Amino acid sequence: MEFTLAAVFFAVLTVAVYLLTNFMYLRYRKTLLNPVLASTAILSSILVLGNIPYDTYMEGGSWIGTFLGPAVVALAIPLYKQKDLLFANLLPIISGIATGVAVGMASGILFTQLFRFSEELILTVLPKSLTTPVAMQVASNLGGIPSLAAVFVMVAGFTGYIIGPVFLKWLHIDSAIGRGIALGTSAHGMGTARAFEYGQQETSMSSVAMTLSAVLGALLGPVAAWLLLL
Amino acid sequence: MKVIYILLQLIAITGFYLLGEALQDFFNIPLPGSIIGFLLLFVALLLKIYPLEWIDSGAHFLLAFLSLFFIPATVGIVEYGELFSGKGILLIPIVMASTFLAMAASGWVSQFAAKASAERKERS
Repeated sequence: MEFTLAAVFFAVLTVAVYLLTNFMYLRYRKTLLNPVLASTAILSSILVLGNIPYDTYMEGGSWIGTFLGPAVVALAIPLYKQKDLLFANLLPIISGIATGVAVGMASGILFTQLFRFSEELILTVLPKSLTTPVAMQVASNLGGIPSLAAVFVMVAGFTGYIIGPVFLKWLHIDSAIGRGIALGTSAHGMGTARAFEYGQQETSMSSVAMTLSAVLGALLGPVAAWLLLL
Repeated sequence: MKVIYILLQLIAITGFYLLGEALQDFFNIPLPGSIIGFLLLFVALLLKIYPLEWIDSGAHFLLAFLSLFFIPATVGIVEYGELFSGKGILLIPIVMASTFLAMAASGWVSQFAAKASAERKERS
């Protein structure tokens, strides 16, 4: 880690762009203003227009990235606060999440193999239903591309966020537990943001599902990758 | 005062993270170190080895900025522009289709299992 002026500049720029987009999002509440999406678009444009290599940007960007690991650990607190709900419905929660994670990974592998994508890309798509920091870690451990994995996580999140409620209605998934588990397992934080619109119970279920599917996904990822390579 | 609390708690959370990383490295566990740290903290809270008040504000702070922390990684997309101008664009509908399947499977199974266990409780 080098302490250069450029590094400081890019770290400060990232935080500034994030705070700005976050402010705009909170003010106008438009899905497309999602802070991650908007910040990524702005910062990528700056790099492309300024002809700045990603590695130069990452001299400062990587400082911000170091908080990801501890942030994953911090997810234990919201889960702990939901422990009564979790233990009262342990079987439906665990069975739903485990099935969802397995189906998501298996279908991801199947579809990408069908179109003959490279192994590297298959392993990058694999963890798309997990929350971004965990998905990036899983992708990089398996030999995928972390930053691309983060993009697919966003695609999954937006899919769940935008079409989730219509789809759930169509499937007759109408209980708080079904809706919450479905949104949190398939669309992580974005799904949980959508679950918030149904109510408190759906939100809690979805946040439990988001956290537990990340843990299960981290466990299942290497197994799925191993099966893929057989 | 609040700032000092948050700072100390951030150090504690980082401690759990580093412990997870060290265990992962030492025992060659096929799980990310951060997930091991997460499990350690969750178990420590459940067993009341570590009190919630000693970590709550720090965790809240980290999670409030969670999306900021992965923006530098998502900006890495600039290096893969050409992928999405070709066949790679197909990966987007693939991810969407797979997301629907995961949603349907997890929703159905959890809803069905919840109804089944509620009926079982009613009968007994």
